[in-house]
This record gives sequence, C-alpha cells and structure tokens, in this order.
Amino acid sequence: MNNVGIPGSKPRTPYHEFYADDFTPRDHYRLLWDHIKATGNSALEAKAHESQLALQAEGVTFTVYGESEEGIERIWPFDLIPRIITAAEWVKIESGLKQRVRALNLFLGDLYGEQRIIKDGVIPPELIYQGRDFRREIVGIVPPRGIYTHVSGIDIIRDEKGEFLILEDNLRTPSGVSYMIENRVIERRILPEFFNKYRVRRVEHYPSLLLAALRALSPRGTAHADIVLLTPGIYNSAYFEHTFLAKEMGVELAEGRDMVVVNDIVYLKTTTGLQRVDVIYRRIDDDFLDPLVFRSDSSLGIAGVINAWRAGNVAIVNAPGSGIADDKAVYPYVPDIIRYYLGQEPILNNVPTFQMTNETDREYVFDNMERMVIKAVSESGGYGMLMGPSSTPASRKEFMALVQENPRNYIAQPVVYLSRHVCYMDGELEARHLDLRPYVIYGEDIEVVPGGLTRVALRKGSLVVNSSQGGGSKDTWVLAE
Amino acid sequence: MLSRIADSMYWMARYLERAGETARLMEINLLYLVEAEEDMGEEDKWRPILQINSSEPLYDEQFGDGSISTPRVLQFISAGRTNPSSIRTCLRLFRENARVARDRISKEMWEAVNEIWMRFDERLKGPLSAERAGALFVDLRNQVARFNGLVASTMMRGEAYAFYQLGGCFERADMTVRTLDIKYHIILPDLSMVGSALDYYQWAALLKSLSGFEAFRRNYHSAFMPGDVAEFVVLNRDFPRSIIFSVGHMEGALGIIGLEQKDATRTAFAALLAMVNGTSQQLFAEGLHEYLERLLERLAGFHAALAEDFFQ
Repeated sequence: MNNVGIPGSKPRTPYHEFYADDFTPRDHYRLLWDHIKATGNSALEAKAHESQLALQAEGVTFTVYGESEEGIERIWPFDLIPRIITAAEWVKIESGLKQRVRALNLFLGDLYGEQRIIKDGVIPPELIYQGRDFRREIVGIVPPRGIYTHVSGIDIIRDEKGEFLILEDNLRTPSGVSYMIENRVIERRILPEFFNKYRVRRVEHYPSLLLAALRALSPRGTAHADIVLLTPGIYNSAYFEHTFLAKEMGVELAEGRDMVVVNDIVYLKTTTGLQRVDVIYRRIDDDFLDPLVFRSDSSLGIAGVINAWRAGNVAIVNAPGSGIADDKAVYPYVPDIIRYYLGQEPILNNVPTFQMTNETDREYVFDNMERMVIKAVSESGGYGMLMGPSSTPASRKEFMALVQENPRNYIAQPVVYLSRHVCYMDGELEARHLDLRPYVIYGEDIEVVPGGLTRVALRKGSLVVNSSQGGGSKDTWVLAE
Repeated sequence: MLSRIADSMYWMARYLERAGETARLMEINLLYLVEAEEDMGEEDKWRPILQINSSEPLYDEQFGDGSISTPRVLQFISAGRTNPSSIRTCLRLFRENARVARDRISKEMWEAVNEIWMRFDERLKGPLSAERAGALFVDLRNQVARFNGLVASTMMRGEAYAFYQLGGCFERADMTVRTLDIKYHIILPDLSMVGSALDYYQWAALLKSLSGFEAFRRNYHSAFMPGDVAEFVVLNRDFPRSIIFSVGHMEGALGIIGLEQKDATRTAFAALLAMVNGTSQQLFAEGLHEYLERLLERLAGFHAALAEDFFQ
C-alpha cells in the first residue's frame, strides 16, 4: 500500500476523548467534569479505594504468565472515570461492525465452500492456503445457518483526527466481556450519582443474548439445548470470565476431560452417568479442540468432537476454522471483502497496513521501522510484536531478519497514536491512551452490545493496552441520545 | 452434576475443615504448653500434633537435626509451603477447588473464599510468634464457622451441597479419629489404667481440641474416666464432633446424592456405619487403638469407593 505519508513528520498529537483542543471538556463530558470538580480529589480517592476492595472481594482477576512458573493472579485493574461515547458516534460504530461481521461470515462460508473470492482474483490463493488458521479438514462442512462467528470482539481505535478505525478482528475466542459487565456493576455501585446525570445504555444483558444465540443452535431444537462452556481450566488467564459466563447463563462449565464422544455424539461425564451435549461454547483454540483432527498432543480438547460436529450432532461456537478471517494477513483485504460480498463501501476503515510479501512495502517499512508496528499475523494479546518507537537497534535487526525469513507471517502498520482520556492515577488526573473492544453476537440477527471493553495503557505514554502487558480498563458508556 | 465438580466440592469442604480443625488443635496445644507440667519437653508436646497432621516424616526430613521447637512447628504446620497438610496449603487448595466449582457455589460463598485466602495468606507471610499464632488460629476458626454459615444459608440443597457436606463430615470424622487415637495413646500408655482417673489438663486439652469439653462435663459428672471420654467422642449422637454424628450426616448427604448402581460406595458405607453402631464395651473389647485403626481403614475404604463411583 502507498500514500501513508508519514516520513519526516513530527509526532502527531493524539486525539483527546475528554478535552477539546482548548482544554475545556467536550460537551458530553461537561456534566461529569462539573461533578468531579465539585466533589474533589479526596472523594475520588475514596471511590478508587472502594472499587479496589470490591474487585478483590469478588475475585475479579486475570492471570499473567511468564513471570513465574505458577502464573500470577492479578486483580482486574479498573479506572473509575468512565469513557463516554455519544449516540451519534455509536450509530457509526454499530453499523460498521454489523457490516463487517456479516461480510466476514460470508467470506468464511465461501472459503470453506466454493471459494469464489479466490477464483475471482480478489484474494490471492496463497494468502489463504499458507494461513496457519485455514483448516483444510473442515472444507465442505456448512455450520448451522452458515454462521461461523457467533461471538466477535472487534478492536477499535481512534486516530489523531478522532476517526474510529478497526485495529483487529477477534473472531476466535475473544475475551473481556465479563470485565465489561463487572466494570459497569462496580461503576454503578460506587458512582451511582454519575448515572443520574446521563442516560447510559445497558450492557448487562449480554449473557442472555449469548444464551439465546447458543440455544438456537441446538441440533435437538431450542427446547432441548444442553449447553457447556468449554474452558482450558483454572490456570487459564481468562478463567474468571469462563466461570462468570457459565454462571450468568446457567450452563455447565466443563473441561475437555469432562466430555467423551460416543458414536459421534458428545456426552458429559456426570455423577449419574453420561449426559448429552448439544452446544459447545468453546474458549480454547482450534489447535487444541480435537486431538484426532488438529494437534494430537492436546489434552485440553475432546477427541472426536469434530466428527460429531460434521455429523450435525453438536454445535461449536465459534465454528472451527473461523480464525482465518482474523488472520492479520487477511486483515488488509477486509475492505475488499466487504465490497465483494455486500457491494457496499466499508463504514469503518482499517488502519493503513503494509504487506510484507510486497517488496516495495517491505523496503519502505525497513526504512521507517521506528515509526512502525510490526505484528506476527497469528499472534494476539500483544505478543510477537515490535513497537517501533520503543524498539532498540538490536530488536529492529532481529525483526528484520524474521520478516525476511517469512514475509507471509508479518504485517506492518504506521504507529497510530491512540486517543487519550483522563484517568485517576494515584491521586492525580492524568492522560492515558486507550482503545475499545465492542462485542458482536450473531444469532437470529447481528447485535452489537452498546458499550464494550475500554482498555487503557496504564503506563504513561505507552500504547500497549493488553491486560497481559499492564493494561487497565474503564467502564464504557454509550449514551441513549 | 459433573464428576470433576463433585470431586471439587468434596475436597473444598475437606480442605477447609482440615484447616479449621488443625487451627483448633494448635490453639489448644499452645495453651496446653503453658499449663503442662514443667518436666515435659517441647518434643513431647509437639510430636503428637505432627502425627495428627500426618506430617511427621516430612518434618524430620526437612529439619535434619531432629530438634522439635515451638517456633519451628508453628511455622511448619501453619505456613509450611512444602507441607501438604499445613494450614496455608489447605486454604490454598480450598480456594483452588472453589475456583473449579465456581459456577456451583453462591456469590456470597465465593467472596468469602477470597476473603479467607487473602487474609490468611497475608498473615502467614511473616515469622509467627506464639502470640500472633494464637490470635490467628482463633480468627481462622471463626472464619470457618462463618463460611459454613454462609453455606447453610445461601447454597441450594442439591448434589453440590451434598458433596460439600460429605467432604466436611468425612474430614471431621477422620481428624477426630486420629486426634483421639494419638492423644489417647499418650495419655493412657498402659491399658491397666483404664478405669482410673487421670491428669485433668491432658484430658481437658483432648476434649477442648474437639470443642467437647463443656458438653462432656454436663454429660459425665465424674472425674475424667478414659472409657467415658472414648464413648463420648465416638458414640454420642448429640455431640457434633463425634464420629457417629459425622457418619450420620454423611448418610444424609448420600441420601441426596443417591446410591443406585453405586455398589462400591453402598458397601463401603455400610461397613463404616456398622462400626459406629456399637456400645462402649465393644470399643474396648478389641482395644481402643485397634478399633480406631480399623475405623480409619474403613474411612479410607469409603473414600476410595466414592472416588471410584463418582469422581472418575
């Protein structure tokens, strides 16, 4: 791709969500700001403390690995100043996400079916066939109603001009939705007075939307829907979320070893014998799902589950094979995918992206590495990534070698200075960068829950918002009008 | 319910009960140290506790010089990370099992689990003086009682509850048998002494470790007769820490769970029940120590049958 036009320019000023250019609060933050000013910092301090205690007592945690063998369970970091999205802004986000998810599901159905998009020359075949997450084993299987991604968590950022851009499509097992809800619960408990001043749209019904979508997929009909949430277990970093959703939906929380497949039917091992399973909401990757079909060394999955799925005896959410559509090498093609299947222009744009397989792009990126983010295409959670501005000559050299060795495996994007927001940090209000992950459910129709997880880079100046790398979060308010 | 979850409910209760019972035992022993005769060494005072805690071999291995001292034992039994029966380990596993069964327990219970773990993990970090330890043991017993109150008032009376009850009662019975066996053996080294009144403090300590001192006094007005104590701790149906009381509650829990086609469990439980439906004469007919040994075997047999029938 061309025309990104950044070399030589000064670092640009990030968009500020809270303040307008003249350092007065934007209109929709004015009421909140007046309230904060009136109550003062000591009141905020007390509220911040209260929120910490509540999160601790409820055990709202995530687990970080790498620092010690056991993994460290951390309390979910929460900032009490809410992030506000206006009704007009939300209209655009919502319609853009629906459009994108609809197109990506048509794309997946096509890839595992006729592959028209490849035959028509819109997408180069090698891009798909070399993708680690394209599953040849399931070509020809059509999931119920042709839906692959029943749950998507799509990352949106705001560039320097304040435009919402899609950063990443998370279509495999996106996490964070429980924190979206917990943030709201805590926010309302400790700052009820804020809610009187705004009409904030609700998000807590998310589990019931998900449950309805899951029930609708039961091969025995909605009346007989025995659903399980498949978790890798208590050491998984998102285990809190797995228990949260299982409880909220009233479904069984199970591990792979709790299930067995007999004659292409999946059963739970219970104290009173085997019990049939109709729908599996899995929170493990394709790789680990079925040792007979994918990775044979996986002990987290269920042997034979793919055959049961193929036979139509069980539904798997999200469908196996969905990962190819959020492969970062496919990402630059999503605008074309939307045009191809829907005949529409994308409502939300991508972040400009360089293909490392394209020689001109590659040379350009190598010449401007300090202004680039380079990402491995199949990684997520902030891993396998070079952040140009904070990189060292050694790490740049290392990434250059990695890219040259396997260009299909990398993409690059000019660093986008994520928008900022005020956060309450140790007694002071300070600006921090953030992004937004709204959740999209594809059931009867496509629904976007009005809100999402706002992730905050807690370290000053940092652009990395991942909770595994020191990110925090905010309650996200979508206004009703 | 899922076999794995049943297993976690059962063990969650066992670990909490073990932590609480161990705290009680330690608390009483600390007081007893002050009251005991002066010629009794620290070794004699603490070795039985290590035996009841099933951690004597590990202790000897870890402290090669063979010396048993109050600070060491306090640390080892309360906070020892290598000791699989230390209070800290029990509380950690209590929380771990609760996390596994998170979707089966009430919000109130889960919050209390977290509170207990965070509170004691923090307090067990530094060195433990006898004074601090004493306060900690009292606090832990209160927390355990509070937790079981939450279980009683917030948990659905279904299978998960039944497995929780089963685990708690099993652990309590098991701890009571071991406490009685070891303490009795020390207090009454010679069987010819059955029938004669013995040292007040030692008997009182045994009964207090089981929270049964006052109840015993009300039931038996005589001096401490060994036969009476054994009868009270094993066979008294009204005493909530007696063996028969625990086994009776296990029977109730098994009734909720249901034993159709669970032959191993039914047989093993019948064998256990038969042993506690006796008279005090029967306790002493074969020798109390032999009787208690056999009771421990039956308990172990019941646990194995339960694991085979329900947890696999």
